[in-house]
Amino acid sequence: MSLVMHENPAAHAHGRRVKIDVRNVDFYYGDNRALKSITLPLFANSVTAFIGPSGCGKSTLLRVLNRMYDLYPGQRATGEALLDGRNILDPAVDVNFLRSRVGMVFQKPTPFPMSIYENIAFGIRLYEKLPRSELDARVEEALRGAALWEEVKDKLDASGQSLSGGQQQRLCIARTVAIRPEVILFDEPCSALDPISTAKVEELIEELQEDFTIAIVTHNMQQAARVSDTTAFMYLGELVEFGETQRMFAAPENKRTQDYITGRFG
Amino acid sequence: MSDRAIFAARRRANALAMALSVAATAFGLVWLFLILSTLVVSGLSGMSLSVFTEMTPPPNVQGGGLLNAIVGSLVMTAIGVGIGAPIGILAGTYMAEYGRHEKLTTVTRFVNDILLSAPSIIIGLFVYGAVVVPMGRFSAIAGALALAAIVIPVVVRTTENMLLLVPNQLREAAAALGMPRANIVLTVCWRAARAGVLTGLLLAIARVSGETAPLLFTALSNQFWSLDITSAMANLPVTINNFINNPDPNWKRLAWAGALVITAAVLGLNIVARALAARSKSR
Amino acid sequence: MSEHIVRSYDRDLEALGRKIAEMGGVAEKMLTEAMDALSALDVDGARRVVTTDARLDALHREVEEGAIGTILRRQPMAVDLRECVAAIRIAGDLERVGDLAKNIAKRTLKIAGAGRMPRAIVGLKSMHECAAQQLKDVLDAYATRDPAAARAVWLRDAELDALEDSVFRDLLTFMMEDPRNITFCTHLLFCSKNIERIGDHSTNIAETVIYLVTGEAPLAERPKGESATA
Repeated sequence: MSLVMHENPAAHAHGRRVKIDVRNVDFYYGDNRALKSITLPLFANSVTAFIGPSGCGKSTLLRVLNRMYDLYPGQRATGEALLDGRNILDPAVDVNFLRSRVGMVFQKPTPFPMSIYENIAFGIRLYEKLPRSELDARVEEALRGAALWEEVKDKLDASGQSLSGGQQQRLCIARTVAIRPEVILFDEPCSALDPISTAKVEELIEELQEDFTIAIVTHNMQQAARVSDTTAFMYLGELVEFGETQRMFAAPENKRTQDYITGRFG
Repeated sequence: MSDRAIFAARRRANALAMALSVAATAFGLVWLFLILSTLVVSGLSGMSLSVFTEMTPPPNVQGGGLLNAIVGSLVMTAIGVGIGAPIGILAGTYMAEYGRHEKLTTVTRFVNDILLSAPSIIIGLFVYGAVVVPMGRFSAIAGALALAAIVIPVVVRTTENMLLLVPNQLREAAAALGMPRANIVLTVCWRAARAGVLTGLLLAIARVSGETAPLLFTALSNQFWSLDITSAMANLPVTINNFINNPDPNWKRLAWAGALVITAAVLGLNIVARALAARSKSR
Repeated sequence: MSEHIVRSYDRDLEALGRKIAEMGGVAEKMLTEAMDALSALDVDGARRVVTTDARLDALHREVEEGAIGTILRRQPMAVDLRECVAAIRIAGDLERVGDLAKNIAKRTLKIAGAGRMPRAIVGLKSMHECAAQQLKDVLDAYATRDPAAARAVWLRDAELDALEDSVFRDLLTFMMEDPRNITFCTHLLFCSKNIERIGDHSTNIAETVIYLVTGEAPLAERPKGESATA
């Protein structure tokens, strides 16, 4: 019942390519060790779900992968997270370049205070100087990619904040997709959405994995079971169990995993 | 005590508290109404087109207006805000965006709060010592600097507060797109805080447009038309101060008219500021 | 197993387990009574077995509804999900056990008028003992969530297959001795097949219990006795 992490988790790979290889990552908020020697792979073109009770470190791990913690003093990570072999945590890595490759979608929809069009064009302009017609095409492509085009094509000049919550979240996904990253991190993307909007986002995640490597943090176990190929269960800053999603939810190996996903402790 | 008695006691306590609150509010409103009505009645009786078209009259001469004082006030307020607003906005931006966790920010905030509540006459005296005495004469620029010194703490405070209200998620979302820090501040945070900062700016303008004390020692006043910022310049508050203390009924009349002009301007600015704040909130 | 945060969830699952236990009891009783009726050619006993089957069917429906309701309300995960799936599967197997016992009883009604042939029934009795023991063991394994006990039942299925082969040969001999025995013995042949199938259902239940506890179905091919009637 407890042969969890003795074997290399990559054994589950079945020949899948590892996009991000997390090795012995520790994370500190000041003196508080929030991640304890996390080791796991994120497979290319697949969805990895992170589950666990609040404060288990799953969001923290996500924020390590795009160095979001750099924004705050007193937060630091040690160990290695290799993105295509290059260590993300290396201080020499340009964080803005890293974030252009590893995008992130947040819990609360965060449209910028500008028009729908600008919300997307804005990110593209950071990296490419495009003539207006090409920019228009890219904005449309991104909005179509996020299944939002039909709903907003007639009001691209309206404020991004005038959209509904679900539309705002898809706008944020479109904005992330528009700059063509390789990895997309979703931090509880549906926790503020109604079931229909949630379904649309989940459908989107399924489509996106053709082109991107996806990691998603969620408190909704059914959602993790629905959208992901691989699941990681974390508890108190440790990786408790990592494996193929269906197996994990049908027959977890670790007792703590089982207790958590069946609702036996809080 | 029965349940019924408890509820009856609560109702009585509630009624008493309500009555006291209403009485206090009414007391304040009565004085405000008296002030405004006096101002409007006296001000309107002195009001005429010539107030806006003619210069301040010499003593014991009929007629005349406040044109030079109105323009002087506008010039000094414009220069004062022109100097104070950028400094205030940039300092507030530093405190909220870059140095949020720095000691410098804590110290600046503390000093700024002192400046915010400092009596304006002290600011006037300081500028008198720092500018008027070395220059050897009163000047509009000295007056404008004194006003700037009053504008800065107000703008610093509102800018910082408004930027702190911008949700961190918005900054993170921008950073997650790989946006450089300066870009995030300029295009996302400022834009999100725009209405609030503008409101603060308008309130600062409203505040300085009525200040008399700092101008007494700096710009002094001038009976004649002047746009030379290196010499004394007429302005509404000091002119009102001079005219109201004089027995000449014509001057008294003009002083009331000037007071009404300032009040109307301040009221207008306040209304615009409220409208802006309301619009930013409703979005 | 520790308790769920939502306590009514525990009560749902306990109710499922109790109903399965009750079904097991009814099925065991039907099998025993059907065999007793067959041995004694007791028409009344056989009729009682036939009527008892309705009770088992009703229980089967209750288990299915309970399991579906639990899945609907709780979206069970891991062991809870397996609990619900196992309940549905085991209830199905037990319901089939009841049907097979009922079939034996119906055949008893048909051959009750014919002459008795005690020696032909001896083999069936030992088959019954074996099948009844397996059913009892596997129900115990379910009640105690004991995968080892379930595995033992699962491996023992070969015994019953061997017994069936010998019953088959005996009955064939009786039929060749005297063609007047053919009708009687053919019915007994079907009865032996029924008992063998009850054994298969016990084996299915054993597999389900193993899946319920470990999350894995037994992979290895079960050792099969040589079966002439397969």
